[in-house]
Amino acid sequence: MLKWGSRRAESPQAAPAPAAPVETVVASKVFPKFLSAVAQQPSPTLLDLGPVVGSNVTFFGDRLACKMHVEDLFADVESFNKRGDRAGLLAFLATRLSQAPDSIDGVLCWDLFDFLDKPSGLVLASKLARMVRRGGALYGTFGTTPVELKNYTRTVVAAEDSLKPRPYPATPVPRTVLLTRDIIKMFDGLIVAESMLLKSSTRETLFRRP
Amino acid sequence: MWKRDDAVKPAGAADGPRTETLRTSGSDTVSTGISGTPGTIGKSVVIKGELSASEDLTIEGQVEGKVELKNNTLTIGANGKIKASVFAKAVVVQGEVTGNIHASEKIDIRDAGSVDGDLASPRVAIADGAHFRGSIDMQRTGSVKPAEAPKPAAASAPAAASTPMAAASAGSPVTAPKN
Repeated sequence: MLKWGSRRAESPQAAPAPAAPVETVVASKVFPKFLSAVAQQPSPTLLDLGPVVGSNVTFFGDRLACKMHVEDLFADVESFNKRGDRAGLLAFLATRLSQAPDSIDGVLCWDLFDFLDKPSGLVLASKLARMVRRGGALYGTFGTTPVELKNYTRTVVAAEDSLKPRPYPATPVPRTVLLTRDIIKMFDGLIVAESMLLKSSTRETLFRRP
Repeated sequence: MWKRDDAVKPAGAADGPRTETLRTSGSDTVSTGISGTPGTIGKSVVIKGELSASEDLTIEGQVEGKVELKNNTLTIGANGKIKASVFAKAVVVQGEVTGNIHASEKIDIRDAGSVDGDLASPRVAIADGAHFRGSIDMQRTGSVKPAEAPKPAAASAPAAASTPMAAASAGSPVTAPKN
């Protein structure tokens, strides 16, 4: 009886807990400023260039009550890289986004520019810079080490100041490392409001349209 | 043997005593939930045109055109394929939708769900693994703004009061009338 009772008591612990993958949480000092900038805009419109993340949609809806465009450019980049057509990507990106100039209050680029060659990056950056409305903001991260990229990152917003990067496989491409002055030139019309070099050698940058 | 009735009954039909067959294709039915259970459009039913109802509805078949359930919940089941504009109180997507969805309360895209179109609702939930392409409008027009309107400070600073932060900063020096 005693033995039976003790087994019952142990049973909840004995149940095998599913091995949850260890998730990295990255603290961000720049992302809260992006949120704050967008929140100050009346009826903000957000453009997310990453894959759709349900919890992010909920987060932005709760915090910003915004309109959000989800345009997964990583999927487009992958389809071009898969068939080795990086030149075709340039022409594609020139017409890919249909949002009007001065229509967006916040752009989330994540680490997209690491996967684009310089001409493609330039075409996209100038297009995005024109889309950002006065007072609006653009958030992006830029790697500083020339490595081969084998993963894209689906970034989950864990809280205002912390992000959870979730990698998923990519056709390997060399990272495009951009100098800070090149990045500033690419986003002509925007100014760098905040820039932080993270421990991961990634530069987190916030642009604003004055 | 004792389950023979169940085998004959179409998959989509409601279990209540009264079901109304609107149109059939093959062995499937369109049934309305007169007895209180949600109506179901069965797997092999194809509807082209405008579909409206004043009760909860589950679509397992195909609908092209417009679906309107203003005060009720629409569920697009795992087999459902919709090419339509959808208007409902709440929409749950487990199947495929091509078209815009407007919900006055909530849109919920489940992990096997797929939407190509624009969403408009104050609450939108998209599960991991769901496919979505389009825009999401979560602007709470008509629910938040009337609550802010009665503030006298907002009236005296109309341009600045359009955002909560601006209203807060603009409001403090203006109000405080002296007695």
